[in-house]
Amino acid sequence: MIPGIGTLTQDTLWCFSQVKGTIEIGTTEADIISTVEFNHTGELLATGDKGGRVVIFQREQESKNQVHRRGEYNVYSTFQSHEPEFDYLKSLEIEEKINKIRWLPQQNAAYFLLSTNDKTVKLWKVSERDKRPEGYNLKDEEGRLRDPATITTLRVPVLRPMDLMVEATPRRVFANAHTYHINSISVNSDYETYMSADDLRINLWNFEITNQSFNIVDIKPANMEELTEVITAAEFHPHHCNTFVYSSSKGTIRLCDMRASALCDRHTKFFEEPEDPSNRSFFSEIISSISDVKFSHSGRYIMTRDYLTVKVWDLNMENRPIETYQVHDYLRSKLCSLYENDCIFDKFECVWNGSDSVIMTGSYNNFFRMFDRNTKRDVTLEASRENSKPRAILKPRKVCVGGKRRKDEISVDSLDFSKKILHTAWHPSENIIAVAATNNLYIFQDKVN
Amino acid sequence: MEVQKEAQRIMTLSVWKMYHSRMQRGGLRLHRSLQLSLVMRSARELYLSAKVEALDSEVSLPPALPSDPRLHPPREAESTAETSTPDGEHPSPEPMDTQEAPTAEETSAYCGPRPAKVSRKRRSSSLSDGGDAGLVPSKKARLEEKEEEEGASSEVADRLQPPPAQAEGAFPNLARVLQRRFSGLLNCSPAAPPTAPPACEAKPACRPADSMLNVLVRAVVAF
Repeated sequence: MIPGIGTLTQDTLWCFSQVKGTIEIGTTEADIISTVEFNHTGELLATGDKGGRVVIFQREQESKNQVHRRGEYNVYSTFQSHEPEFDYLKSLEIEEKINKIRWLPQQNAAYFLLSTNDKTVKLWKVSERDKRPEGYNLKDEEGRLRDPATITTLRVPVLRPMDLMVEATPRRVFANAHTYHINSISVNSDYETYMSADDLRINLWNFEITNQSFNIVDIKPANMEELTEVITAAEFHPHHCNTFVYSSSKGTIRLCDMRASALCDRHTKFFEEPEDPSNRSFFSEIISSISDVKFSHSGRYIMTRDYLTVKVWDLNMENRPIETYQVHDYLRSKLCSLYENDCIFDKFECVWNGSDSVIMTGSYNNFFRMFDRNTKRDVTLEASRENSKPRAILKPRKVCVGGKRRKDEISVDSLDFSKKILHTAWHPSENIIAVAATNNLYIFQDKVN
Repeated sequence: MEVQKEAQRIMTLSVWKMYHSRMQRGGLRLHRSLQLSLVMRSARELYLSAKVEALDSEVSLPPALPSDPRLHPPREAESTAETSTPDGEHPSPEPMDTQEAPTAEETSAYCGPRPAKVSRKRRSSSLSDGGDAGLVPSKKARLEEKEEEEGASSEVADRLQPPPAQAEGAFPNLARVLQRRFSGLLNCSPAAPPTAPPACEAKPACRPADSMLNVLVRAVVAF
């Protein structure tokens, strides 16, 4: 079976693989995972948390002895990426929470990733050191300078093996370019530039230059009273280095071509679906806000996530999406309560699988949903400690929307809205998914026959 | 009536959320503020339309005593406040311009052009309970804030009637501010804004109709 392809519910059974994180009842807010990202090969999995830390897991080499178990992910490196800062000019604290992590493609032995909080983007180099020089001529083994009078022979240091040490060093810091809160970063396919987007502006950076950036989108009105929408997410096209998209709080997506002009305020394409009058409600405007936008790996489609749905758009058709999937439509009648408990402002992300045939997004009660675009089947799974036996097959869950509740179903009123899955990631080529549930990271794999 | 109550409740809730959002780490979030203001606008429109319908149906009925004194906040106090506030207005475009206007934008995202009178004094944080961290200090805003801390619901309730009674409730000041702002618009009077407009809305007398949202947004975001 080609990984990532196949009818979702018939051929693919998802099994629990690993869970990272503690099981404490009182979760420290700093441990809440705020972003998850596989690198381009899937060998590394990075998570960022609210405490500003980045934890990188590395997949162990598959052993021939255990063919039934794919390589597990173990901690490779942990480092403090961002610290809390204070903007004295505005008397504002800048949170250290990692909003996004994006990997750069590997070009040498070291790994590079971008991590960002609300204001500052950093380029980190993660490298291994497994040798160390020994036998210095002028220094002793502890590094202290020898007395020159005692040196009678010449010694050339030699490299000797040492225990593997993984170092993370900040190579670049891209600061002071954003007035508003950064919500997205995206590495360009030229691997020389990347963009960072905040509520009103998008900046283009060169990896080598930290004291300058180009502003390529600016939707700030001259009079802030006229502000009606903000930028919510942005991403570069996977293959065309001149093309990017950004989504707005009004449910629209704009595709821009950087060749058209230096400032891409005028879009090349504008994607918007007319509002369905029958769905109009008090909170219509805020639930239409797009929380995430992702290009398909092919570059032909974009996927957007708003509060209740996931939509797939064809770049060649602007007037409506080609596919709409209901994530948790049973919440439509609960919007008032969700407004009261602030859940209506949750920003869910969405991901494609490697072959663009399946899409995945999170929901409440630690549920996450997958939609097979070919068969139109969907499945709801749960990330919970109860289903955490090794290789335990995940049982599909179902939410009862009314009437008689079956034995295995859960009613809408029983859903735990404090357990939400906002961040998920899909391995670039295999059926391995990482699901962040508050402070725990679950890794699921498809069942290997 | 239920619709009115629900709309009032939503508005009060929204105001509380906006106030509370200033306290959180990281400062005021523009997207969140925008979403809250959109809900406020929807609630207000719903409330007003329900109110108009109720009034229409009451035309034939004898006028009833207001059951809630909050529905009639004092106009006099408001106009006094309005005339007194501009003198103490604070944040100006100039310091914000030198800062490349991030303070201005973040703190008064929906505020209009500042009045000419400028003061560079910065209000002490103690006066604002630390909640103004993200906003440009303004004496006018502070007064508005005190006003805005009162129930929106009580205010919004009575746009169409001049309110004499003292506002009470969670945010009586906000209620007063909202009423002061909206009454003119509701009376379809472009010149309704008081002669001494508050710092955050030095708007020209003629205002486009769709600035109602802006006014509402300013009123709740100003603090």
